[in-house]
Amino acid sequence: MKQIKLFSLIFLAMVIFTTCNKEEIDKQKPEIDLSMQGTFPLNCDTLYFGESFDFKVLFKDNAELGSTKSYSIDIHHNFDHHSHSTEVENCKSEEKKDPINPFTFIEDYDIPEGLDMYETNIKITLPTTNNSGILDEGDYHFYISLTDKEGWSVQKGLSIKILHRGIN
Amino acid sequence: MNKLIVLLLGMTLFCMSIIAQETYLLSGHVFDENKLPLPGATVMLLPEKNGTVTNAQGDFSINNLPKGKYVLEISFVGYKTLRDSVSISKNIVVKYRLQASLLTLQEVVVTDHAAETLKRETSLNIEVVNTEYLKQNSGGSLMQSLNRLPGISTIDIGSGQSKPVIRGLGFNRVVVVENGVKHEGQQWGADHGLEIDQYAAENIEVVKGPASLMYGSDAIGGVIDINQSAIPTDGSLKANLDLMGKSNNNLFGSSLAVYGRKKWFFANARLTYIDYGDYKVPTDSIDIYSYKAALHKNKLRNTAGNEKNLHLQVGLVKKYFTSKFFVSTVNSESGFFANAHGLEPRNVDVELHDKSDRDIQFPYQEVSHLKLINKSLWHKNAVKLETDFGFQRNNRNEWSEYVSHGYMPAIFPDTLPFSAELERAFDKYIYSANVKGSYTLSEKTLFTVGLNSDYQDNRIDGRGFIIPTYRQTSIGGFLYAKQHLSEISLLQAGFRYDYGNLQTQEYNDWFMSPIVNNGDTIWQYLNRAINLNRDFSNTSWSIGYNFNPEQWSLKVNVGKSFRMPIAKELAANGVNYHHFSYEVGNADLSPEISYQLDLGLEYNSMKFAIGTTPFLNYFSNYIYLNPSSEHDRLYGNGNQVFYYNQCEVFRFGAELHAHYQIIKPLQIGIIGEYVYSEQLSGEKKGRTLPFSPPASAILNIKYQKQKIKYFENVYVSIDYKLTAPQNNIVPPEETTAGYQLINLSLGGDVKLKKQSVNISFQIQNLFNTKYFNHTNYYRLINVPDPGRNFILNISIPISIKKIKSNTV
Repeated sequence: MKQIKLFSLIFLAMVIFTTCNKEEIDKQKPEIDLSMQGTFPLNCDTLYFGESFDFKVLFKDNAELGSTKSYSIDIHHNFDHHSHSTEVENCKSEEKKDPINPFTFIEDYDIPEGLDMYETNIKITLPTTNNSGILDEGDYHFYISLTDKEGWSVQKGLSIKILHRGIN
Repeated sequence: MNKLIVLLLGMTLFCMSIIAQETYLLSGHVFDENKLPLPGATVMLLPEKNGTVTNAQGDFSINNLPKGKYVLEISFVGYKTLRDSVSISKNIVVKYRLQASLLTLQEVVVTDHAAETLKRETSLNIEVVNTEYLKQNSGGSLMQSLNRLPGISTIDIGSGQSKPVIRGLGFNRVVVVENGVKHEGQQWGADHGLEIDQYAAENIEVVKGPASLMYGSDAIGGVIDINQSAIPTDGSLKANLDLMGKSNNNLFGSSLAVYGRKKWFFANARLTYIDYGDYKVPTDSIDIYSYKAALHKNKLRNTAGNEKNLHLQVGLVKKYFTSKFFVSTVNSESGFFANAHGLEPRNVDVELHDKSDRDIQFPYQEVSHLKLINKSLWHKNAVKLETDFGFQRNNRNEWSEYVSHGYMPAIFPDTLPFSAELERAFDKYIYSANVKGSYTLSEKTLFTVGLNSDYQDNRIDGRGFIIPTYRQTSIGGFLYAKQHLSEISLLQAGFRYDYGNLQTQEYNDWFMSPIVNNGDTIWQYLNRAINLNRDFSNTSWSIGYNFNPEQWSLKVNVGKSFRMPIAKELAANGVNYHHFSYEVGNADLSPEISYQLDLGLEYNSMKFAIGTTPFLNYFSNYIYLNPSSEHDRLYGNGNQVFYYNQCEVFRFGAELHAHYQIIKPLQIGIIGEYVYSEQLSGEKKGRTLPFSPPASAILNIKYQKQKIKYFENVYVSIDYKLTAPQNNIVPPEETTAGYQLINLSLGGDVKLKKQSVNISFQIQNLFNTKYFNHTNYYRLINVPDPGRNFILNISIPISIKKIKSNTV
């Protein structure tokens, strides 16, 4: 019985030790805020090949946003309507079609260190052609992913159109 | 008073024997090593062959014995047969203790009693489960049927697939052994289950805690040891048909087994077929990120599936030699929830998917597992030799519509060696050989030496990349000794050495991606895996002590266990399509080392039992997949990058169980479990580990009766399950609210003419509660666990040929 008592004491001590010795741990995801004045693009917006646009979104976190490569933008075609936006509003899609030479864009970006709020300030230029010729216009999916320092991540998917100016 | 009765009784007996003219009474008591009575033991007097069986108290008596010399033989399955000479010239009372026979334990269906002995003789904490338990608690898969056990939980995907978790550790930290050979599939993946037919599992031992010593690398968290151990009785030819129905996913399952034996030869065959539809959840839409995917009639779109299994077994039983050959193929096909597979919330062709709730559309997986095993045992006198040889092939294919991501071409080229729809495929060939010898030096001392080895050849296919092709060799040897210090105390210790080698093969993308170098963009086929060649070696050990005074049982075990890093941890470099993450391996990982202290304390009396099994555990270098704050730009759609690294981890926890018999047929019980994990170093210092099960308890009330009218072995059982919230999380998990569930089960045997049909019925989630299971794979995308489920199991034995009554 002595042994039993000893072991239960050690055990209890360990339990108390580990449960009392706590610092606050960040358990909250960051936020991609699309409600800021001047946010672009929004769900159902249209972009144009051969033009530039300012990517303007507000990132927030309760503790600290990530820094190196901490947000990414991915633009891929949605001609087959495979992707769904994460927004409530549904946009009017074009007819389904097969891709011939769709546009793909994947890029990651840094956020200055030590921020809990950050307004993006980048200019993205869309080409009109690539090595295979003129890019397909139509329904695209604009996908934003953001992380905080802790490794929590959040995603937003927007349904947009990318068109050639002047053709339509 | 007592003396008076004895005297009177003795006098009566004395008088009676005089009247009966020199015949006497031999009575006695049979008990086991732990002084517990052994009911059902066969007692035989030779050469007369006058015999009987011990009653529930372990007592027997043989009447009308003429004066003379006899040989008394007492035998019981799982125990060494005892012979003693008795000379009878008056009424005598004898007492005998039987010793568990380690030599034959594996050939018998482990009865509750043998299970009890096993528990008392093992210094690690174990649970033993038989077919009856599995029927009464059957879930969608073998592991779901086991997760009621304290300390056991599962990682589920869909209604029929799950992976074992022991005290919060799962995947490659739990070894599953079937018929002596380690089951090898793609254990690291959370998106598919264990390729084991739950009907074919007859006896299961669950080792809670590190068991690397006997089971090698990967057994660092525990072991699920499954055996098809029963050998049919001589001269029998029988069959058994199991039927199962479930309301939640409209499951129909059936399994037919035929088995027989003629003298030393026996064979059995089993055919299992299971087919199920989409499962129902108590919600009408699923919130994937902020997109609400509407469900049709509460059904989780495209989670239907089926399973087709075949098992064959032939074997021979000789006096000193037993050999069994197992051939089995387990094949399943199951759909993935269509709205959430891939890299983002997906649009689905609702009309196509919701037309039928039984069809399997994209995305889905096919898994087939082939096994050939030979298991042999030779024993004579003090020596026992066991060999297990196995060949396995695990083939898994994941199919989905081609959607280009990253820089994959928009139109799938027709020049590739794989089909456009093949997302990923793994084809693994495993060759295993185990040899084990044990020598019983004396009644008190047992030595065991053993060697485990295996060779794995894992090939990959398909358009997506996560792990490379690899070859892995491992070999380990151990020495183990067991010493009885007294009748009630036992010391055991063991030592093991392992060597392993892992070689990965180079992999390059089949499509080109743009690399920006000094402002120039170059398109190239990216290299995702290199030719890596790593050697690992390690020692592990374990010391345990058991102390079993009367109704108490105390155990202590301290051990060091280890685990070799797997190919995924060393060389992953791709997108995890289910977790929307990009995973990067670390070629420099060292083998995981774990130190653990296990305790077990149990009290057992006729009416009341209570036990607890606490543990303390320290990992000096736990392999952890750390979610970083970086993103990847060359695969997927800009996913968050997860890196493998190593950190110190401290864990502790305990299980508790107790039951009390209020009145004869009514028993109340409680089962509880708790695990705490904390990373002590590294980037996530202070955080827990992923998939940590929350604390939970089951309050149970059970009514059991031997006979009610036409029903035998009747039981009614109500489980009230309480689960605490899980707020201890790491990215990308979500905190999960606590919940309460009520499950009901009842059943028994019905006598139909000479047949006895077993029926068990369950209602799981009686109140159709909407709840989330923290370790459910679909938890991350907010899919609640299944709603109310009615489950019916019927087991019909069919006697093809009568057993010849063997007069002993």
